[in-house]
Amino acid sequence: MTEPVIFAIRHLSAAAGFNVRKKLTKYKPDLVLIEGPANANDMLPWFCHKQTRLPIAILSYTTQEPLHTLLYPFAQYSAEYQAISWAYEHNIPCRFMDVPSDILLSLIQAKEQGLKQEQEDVYTKDTTNIYTSLEQTLEQSFDSIYERSLEQLEQDYDVKAYEFGQQIRLHSHDDKFDYALNHVREAYMKRSIVEAQLQGFNKIFCVCGAYHAPALKQNEPLSDSEFEQLNKFSISTNITLMPYSYYHLSKQSGYGAGNNAPAYFDFVWQALKLGDYAKASYLYLSHLCQSQRQQGYFVSTAHFIDAIKLANTLAYLRNSKYPTLEDLKDAAITCIAQGNAAALSVAFASVDIGKKIGKLPTNVSRTALQDDFYKQLKNLKLEKYCTFENITLDLDLRENLKVKSQDSAFLDLNRSFFFNRLRVLNIDFARQTKYKSDAIWGESWNLRWSEESEIQIVESALLGETIKLAATFALKEQANNCTDIASASAVFEEAFLCGLTQVCEYALKALQKLSVNTAAIEEISKCMYKLANTIKYGSLRKFNQNDTLTALLEQFYLRACLILAQACICDDKAANDVIESIERINKVQIDLNFLDQQCWVDLLKDISNRDDLNTKCSGFAMAILIERGLIDENLLNMELSRRLAKGVAADLGAAYFEGLAQKNRYSLILRLSLWKILDNYLQSLDDEEFKRALVFLRRTFSEFKASEKSDIAENLGQIWGLNQQQVSKVLMSDENLTSIDDFNFDDI
Amino acid sequence: MSNLQRLPAEQQYQQELEALIANEQDTIPTNWKMSPRSVLKYICGGKAGKLDITPKYIGNKRLVEICIATLVTDRALLLLGEPGTAKSWLSEHLAAAINNDSSKVVQGSAGTTEEHIRYSWNYAMLIAKGPSKQALVKSPIFRCMESGSIARVEEISRCASEVQDALISILSEKRMSIPELNEDVAANKGFSIIATANTKDKGVNEMSAALKRRFNIVILPTPSDIKSEIDIVQTRIAQLAQNFELKAIAPNKNIIEQVVTVFRELRDGVTLDGKQKLNTTSSVLSTAEAISLLSNSMALAASFGSGQIEAYDLASALQGAIVKDEEKDSLYFKEYLENVMKKRGSAWSELYQACRELN
Repeated sequence: MTEPVIFAIRHLSAAAGFNVRKKLTKYKPDLVLIEGPANANDMLPWFCHKQTRLPIAILSYTTQEPLHTLLYPFAQYSAEYQAISWAYEHNIPCRFMDVPSDILLSLIQAKEQGLKQEQEDVYTKDTTNIYTSLEQTLEQSFDSIYERSLEQLEQDYDVKAYEFGQQIRLHSHDDKFDYALNHVREAYMKRSIVEAQLQGFNKIFCVCGAYHAPALKQNEPLSDSEFEQLNKFSISTNITLMPYSYYHLSKQSGYGAGNNAPAYFDFVWQALKLGDYAKASYLYLSHLCQSQRQQGYFVSTAHFIDAIKLANTLAYLRNSKYPTLEDLKDAAITCIAQGNAAALSVAFASVDIGKKIGKLPTNVSRTALQDDFYKQLKNLKLEKYCTFENITLDLDLRENLKVKSQDSAFLDLNRSFFFNRLRVLNIDFARQTKYKSDAIWGESWNLRWSEESEIQIVESALLGETIKLAATFALKEQANNCTDIASASAVFEEAFLCGLTQVCEYALKALQKLSVNTAAIEEISKCMYKLANTIKYGSLRKFNQNDTLTALLEQFYLRACLILAQACICDDKAANDVIESIERINKVQIDLNFLDQQCWVDLLKDISNRDDLNTKCSGFAMAILIERGLIDENLLNMELSRRLAKGVAADLGAAYFEGLAQKNRYSLILRLSLWKILDNYLQSLDDEEFKRALVFLRRTFSEFKASEKSDIAENLGQIWGLNQQQVSKVLMSDENLTSIDDFNFDDI
Repeated sequence: MSNLQRLPAEQQYQQELEALIANEQDTIPTNWKMSPRSVLKYICGGKAGKLDITPKYIGNKRLVEICIATLVTDRALLLLGEPGTAKSWLSEHLAAAINNDSSKVVQGSAGTTEEHIRYSWNYAMLIAKGPSKQALVKSPIFRCMESGSIARVEEISRCASEVQDALISILSEKRMSIPELNEDVAANKGFSIIATANTKDKGVNEMSAALKRRFNIVILPTPSDIKSEIDIVQTRIAQLAQNFELKAIAPNKNIIEQVVTVFRELRDGVTLDGKQKLNTTSSVLSTAEAISLLSNSMALAASFGSGQIEAYDLASALQGAIVKDEEKDSLYFKEYLENVMKKRGSAWSELYQACRELN
């Protein structure tokens, strides 16, 4: 029996992909084994389907909490994919040989639990340390080291990679859990090889990560009893093949596997196929120049040539034949962006990562969530919107009385729920835009399908079997992570928009727990406003007012009534926020009649009477009382005369008037007696006091409209017995203000 | 020891340069004295045979690599950076290592003329004999073109634009024409220019796009972390103390750390832990400034004090460096003293008290 060939690779390396194909063609094996979950073997035919476009990924996840996932991404140039497609082209059997994902996930779960229990044990010596110390010694990133020492090798890639794996194994010390996990996996893979040999395969070719390669040669396979024991570990999991994107690939990178620049390695792959590694630099830099030009920068061919020259010299200084990505980037910064790295950041992102998105034939293994998504699209009659074009859809959330069935009567409402749920799951299919009118029953959504959306759906599959369940799970998670009532009420609002009554309850409970420690009037009033809106417009979304919600609102209302007076002791800057809060609470009280009105009115009276509070707040409280018709003219006049009296500081009086004038200006203008009081007050001031008061009053009246000002002029004209137009003319001109030019504003 | 106030780099580090040349293993570019890798070793430190090479530039080694690679490709190099980020320092050492000659310098200023870049005439001879090679007074750049070596132009952005433009043809054609003699001088291999420019002076004489195109531009940053800045200050202080024969005891690490901390915080407008925002002062608080501040304090302490830098010496030096002429600076520094330094605990209390008294 011939020894199997163990081909050591780095995942997602172009050189590995190129060399594995070369070696396969030379060796002509009768079986190809790949490092990957054995329970994904059924998916292998899809890899080479003519409609499949890479990158794709195998995703496996636990169906119950705690959530754990396993991801095996493949790019066009991945050694695994190249080996699979070679086997397919030559009609040679091909299999995955690693531990099935259901068992591996349960082992990972066990590991996490073990780590939790031994928290005090800190494992400092793990494999990552080897890589970082390598980086420190050679003063470059591991990616560069790898590129210089392995990726650029012209021959014996697998031999060097094997050696590299062996050295890493020798010098790294993982914690005992990782060690055990790797040990089990390697023994399992070895067993797969031995089994294949027993089945009569004679020339076996294995593709596996460099780290595991030495173990596959040296270690013992899993014994029968161990194998049986391992099989007991299986837990309930799902496994699926999904389209993937270069963007996602770039986020998956770590030392052992993956790369930050999947598109760059695509260039390397193209260059290798052309038989000239140096072409990769040209491809990369020319794309970079192009991308930079598209953003409006000037980049000439001369810049390009200079950058190539510099990159080659940098490579030479580091003893490598060809520039690495790092060399190319540094050269580009120096020659193209004139030393300014920030100018190239967008180009780097787009050329390093690229926009490539994978694709699978439509009938490939779908997750339950994907099935549910397409079922809902059909039920909600949205299939025709599933295009790459941007289509706007207007929804009318009201019941459609012209149709017979319940489903079609609330079709648009259900669509809105669906879109909102997708939004919560970060599935970028529908985006809400502004509706053409202010009607609260109308919504407008922009619909656009993209391949990225498919990936997002598969990713959400971890959260639940259906869109509804997944959204429920996601929102509950959010509710659990809330630390203040603002975020908790936001979760409640989301749940309300998604039509998830159960989650609404859940979020309310979270909100209630958090409310105990909240004592900021602004936060409370904002939260009340949000909750009250759901009661007010709830019926539109078939949301029923429930006891928890009313109880919570009552609780907030009471708290607000208790702390509001205290909050009014503040400076002028803060007073505006307090006034907004008062306004919000007032609106909520008007909308919801179960909130005790008397308590609110008493409080407002107290605020408007007290002298120790911010006078603007007092004035505003008075304004609300007037609006509610609780103050007669005499009372108002009395209060105003008290506030606007000679001897009271001018700014305090003016601020009171400013607060008062925030509301029902028209009714204020109509009250002639009020203007008499103001007139009397101003008459009573001496010159210096008048100047001061003028500054503040002018600010107050700056918010009045021209027509309102002219009405005031009419009032004053009547008081002074003058013609309205004359008064108006004098009042509206700025000439009279020259006298306050020498006023010292610094004292204010 | 030499009596010169300051030795050029190639003399000061003669021993190291000789050792590097003696231990050369790589190919040497035409007209260079050593290989690019040895130049890198000279600047960033390492070992040549048995001799330890002291690091001249402490910071991102990659930047030095880019500088050297630029000069290998016979492109010109432009070093940009705030004042005190070791631009001239790096340019001098690069020239010293590559040519063993860092003295071919044109100092850019408002008074620099085209003649300083190209050539001028010995007028007595010109009048007596007419234009001739003997009457020609060559600029440092001219001489570098002939010998195939590196010329330095300091503060290039302070030159008027017509003077800057004179460089364009030299850098692109690598020739200089002398119409008076009907001659044309071509540059030998190895000729290049290292220019430096200050980012704080940006806009004084903005460099033209055509000229910028002919340079590879490397921006030198302020030291990225406090540790490397302390290293830089400590190394330079030790060297200066030796040069000036200062009798004071070199400041201990604690004092250097305090100065560097104050400088970094006021420069970046935020405390080192990133928790508190500060107002930045208008004064230039570079690493070079910190070095000169400390060497001044040493001189003060040696000449008029106890020979050891006291908190009082340090405080008055800090005051001088930070509070330049503007009213605001004094205000911001006072704020800094009260809000940050006061709360730093006993290690800082002495310095705080001393600064407090001055304010």
